[in-house]
Amino acid sequence: MVCSSTFPIPSPPLPHPFFPPKPKAKALFRAPRASLSDPLVLQIAETLEDSTSHLPTSPALQRLRDSSSQSLLSSSSWPSRKDEAFRFTDTSFIKNSLIQPIPLDPPQFPLPIHAQFPNCLALVNGRIAGSASPTSGLPQGVYVGSVLGIPSEGIAKRVSEFLGEFRGGDLFWSLNGIGAPDVAVVYVPEGCRVETPLHLSFLCGVSGGFGEGVMPVANPRVVVVVERGGEVGIVEEHGGGGDDECYWANSAVEILVSEGAKVTHCYVQQESANAAHIKWTVVRQESSSVYNLVEIGTGGKLSRHNLHVQQVGPDTATELSTFHLCLRDQTQDLHSRLVLDHPRGYSKQLHKCIVAHEAGQAVFDGNVRVNRFAQETDAGQLTRTLLLEPKASVNVKPNLQIVADNVKCTHGAAISNLEKDLLFYFQARGLDLETARSALVFSFGAEVIEKLPYASLRKNVETRIKNLIRSFDSQRKKVTPVLE
Amino acid sequence: MASSFPNPFSSFAPTTSTSTSTPSPISLHPSLRLSPSPRFRNPRRQSLTVKASLTTTPGSPNVLLQVKNLTAVIAESKQEILKGIDLVVHEGEVHAIMGKNGSGKSTFSKVLVGHPDYEVTGGSMMFKGENLLDMEPDERSLAGMFMTFQAPVEIPGVSNIDFLHMAWNARRRKQGLPELGPIEFYSILYPKLESVKMDATFLNRNVNEGFSGGERKRNEILQLAVLGADLAILDEIDSGLDVDAFQDVAKAINALLTPNNSVLLVTHYRRLLDFIKPMYVHVMVRIIRFYAFSRIKNPTGRLNGNMASEDGKIVKTGDISIADQLEKEGYKAISVV
Repeated sequence: MVCSSTFPIPSPPLPHPFFPPKPKAKALFRAPRASLSDPLVLQIAETLEDSTSHLPTSPALQRLRDSSSQSLLSSSSWPSRKDEAFRFTDTSFIKNSLIQPIPLDPPQFPLPIHAQFPNCLALVNGRIAGSASPTSGLPQGVYVGSVLGIPSEGIAKRVSEFLGEFRGGDLFWSLNGIGAPDVAVVYVPEGCRVETPLHLSFLCGVSGGFGEGVMPVANPRVVVVVERGGEVGIVEEHGGGGDDECYWANSAVEILVSEGAKVTHCYVQQESANAAHIKWTVVRQESSSVYNLVEIGTGGKLSRHNLHVQQVGPDTATELSTFHLCLRDQTQDLHSRLVLDHPRGYSKQLHKCIVAHEAGQAVFDGNVRVNRFAQETDAGQLTRTLLLEPKASVNVKPNLQIVADNVKCTHGAAISNLEKDLLFYFQARGLDLETARSALVFSFGAEVIEKLPYASLRKNVETRIKNLIRSFDSQRKKVTPVLE
Repeated sequence: MASSFPNPFSSFAPTTSTSTSTPSPISLHPSLRLSPSPRFRNPRRQSLTVKASLTTTPGSPNVLLQVKNLTAVIAESKQEILKGIDLVVHEGEVHAIMGKNGSGKSTFSKVLVGHPDYEVTGGSMMFKGENLLDMEPDERSLAGMFMTFQAPVEIPGVSNIDFLHMAWNARRRKQGLPELGPIEFYSILYPKLESVKMDATFLNRNVNEGFSGGERKRNEILQLAVLGADLAILDEIDSGLDVDAFQDVAKAINALLTPNNSVLLVTHYRRLLDFIKPMYVHVMVRIIRFYAFSRIKNPTGRLNGNMASEDGKIVKTGDISIADQLEKEGYKAISVV
C-alpha cells in the first residue's frame, strides 16, 4: 500500500485542560530530577513544601499538592519577558526579593466586618480564620469552610474531582498548589439558591511588617462547586494589613458551574501599594450555565490576573467586566482566555483601564477561542484604555481565534486620552478643568462599577475610587500646577 | 409657560445695571447709520450701527459684549477663519448672525466662549468690561456666557442630573453661596424640565448619550434655563428639530428673555427669527474679494450696504428685512454688486 504524503501525520492529542492524564510520580524537591527546572523555583517550592508539611491534610489536598509538584517539576522556570504570557509583565520585582512563606499564625490585624454580607469567610495569609467565618445563615446543604472539615463523603468526592484538575496553569498556579495551607470550599447543592452573597476576604500581612528585602508569599486557595441549577453570588475582596506592606499574594480560585447553575462573581483587588498580587481564576461552565464576573483592580505594585473560562457544554452565558486603575508606579495585568467548544455560547467581555502615572502600566491579553463545534456563538469583546500621562503605557492584545463558521463575534480596542471636546463641554458650563477631569476619569470606570450587583459594594467601591482619584489629583496639582 | 420662569437669568449676581437709560448720543457718519424699524422689542436704542457703537465708552453699564476687529485661526492648521469681526451687544438685545456654511459664524460663537480648537490672533473681546481673552472657558461661563452646542457631545458615565447639579453648584460657589444638596436642587430643576417638555427620565440618563438630535437641543435649552445667562449664544439651535420640537424650543427661549439679558442667534434660516425676533441681523458671507453695495434698502430708502470685502467678516448689518431678503434671494443678494 502506498501512503500518500498529503495525509497529515496524526499528532498526539493535546491534554484536555480539565481531564489530563493522572500524574504518576510524587515530587520531591530535595532531589531535583528535572534538569530543566530553575534552581530558584525549586528552592521556593521546597520552602513552601516545608511550610505546609506539618499541617493537617486530606486526600484532596494531598492530591493537589502532589499534582502541583509534578507539574512544577515537569515545566517551570521563572517566567521571563521572553515568554509570551509575560512579554509585557515584569515579575522581577518578586524574583529579586527574598521569597519566604508567610507566617500562618496567628493573624494579628483586625478582620474587616461587612454588615452587608453576613455570610463571610476570611482567608488570612491563606488560612481560614475560624472566628471570622460565621456562615451559619446559609441554606441547608450548603457548605462553606475548610477542605478538612467537609461534612459528607459526597461533597468531598465532588470537590476532589474538580480541585486542581486544570492543567493550563503557569508556575504561579503550581506554586499555589504546593504552598496552599488549606483550601476553602464553597459547595452549593443541586437546585439550591443562595440568596445572600458570600463574602470572601483575602488578607495578607502580619502586624509590624517584614524585614527589608523579604517578600513573604501567601497561597490562598478556594474551590467553588455549584451543582445543577444552583445559584450563588461570591464577593472576593483582596487586601493587605498595612498600607505599604510588601508581600506577595499568590491566590487561586476554581469555580465549577454545573448545568443550569449561575455564579455571580465580584472580585475587588486593593492590595497594599508595595504588594504583588498574582491570581488565577479558573472557571468551568457546563451546559446552560451562567457566569458573570465583575473585576475592580486598583491595588498592588504588580497585579496579574489570569482568567480561564472553559465551556464544557452548550448554551452557556459568560459576562466578564474588568476595570483597572493605575494611579501609581504599578502594573495592572489581565490575561483572560475564554474557550468555547460547544454551540450557542454567549459571551461578552469588557475591559477598561486608566493609566495616570508615567511609570504606570496596564496589560491586557484577551483571548477568545471559538472552536469548531461552537457554532452560533455570540462573542463580544471590547477593551478601552485611557492614558492620562505622557509616558504611561498600555499593552493590549485582544485576540479572537475563530474556527467555527457560523458565529457572531465582535471585538474592539481603543486607547486615548480624555477627549478635548468632553473637557470643553464641562468648561463651557462653568466647571473647571480639574473637576471635569475627575468626573470624566471616574465616569470612565463607572460603566464597569455599575455592573457590581450589590448596592453596598458598589457604593464602597465608588467611594474608594473617587477618593483615590481625588488624592491623586491633589498630589498631581502639587507637582504640576498647570493641568494639560 | 413664562410664569414658570420668574426670572431665570437672575441666577447670576447681576453686575449690569437694570436701568433703561438711553445711550449717550454718538455722532455717526451718515453712511453708517441704521434706523431700526419700530417693531423692535426694545425701543431704547434707536440709531446705532455696529461700527458706530464702538465709539461708546467701553465698560459702560449697558454694553454687554464688545468685539473689535477680532481675528482667529484654527489652532492646528493656522488657517485664518475670522478676519476682523466687529460686534457690540447691549443688554436686552437680540442679535442674529446669519450666513452661509463655512462663513465662520459658528467659529465666531466658539471663539467667544473660548473653544480650544481656535486661536485668537488679534483684536479684542470684552464682556461686561472684562477682557475675555484673559479668561478660561469656565470663567467665561461663570461670568454669564452660555453657548448651546450645535452638536452636543455624549458624556458616558455622567448622568444629566449630576452634570447639572455640578454646574449649578459651581455657579453657587462663584457667587459665594452655599451649595445645594440633590433634593433642593431637584425642586429648582423640576419646573424647568416642564418648560422644555422633557421627561424626568432624561435626568438619570447619561448626558446626551443615546439622545436624538431634538433631545440634545432640548437638553441644551434645559441647561440654559437652569444655569441662566446674561448672554446666550444659540448656535444653530434650530437645526435638526421637527416642527413640534422647534416650537417648544423657541417658546422656551422666548420665556427666558428679559430686559437685561441678551441673545446671539446663529442660524441659517429665517424660520427661527419669526419666533425669536432679533433687533439686529448680521450677515457673514464667504465670498470672493470685491467691494459692493447691496441692493437691499433699509426702511429709510437709503442703500443699506456696508462694504463686503472678505470672508470671515460681518459684511452687513441691518434689521429683520435682511433676513427676508436672504430668504427670498439667497446669499447672492448680499454679495452681488
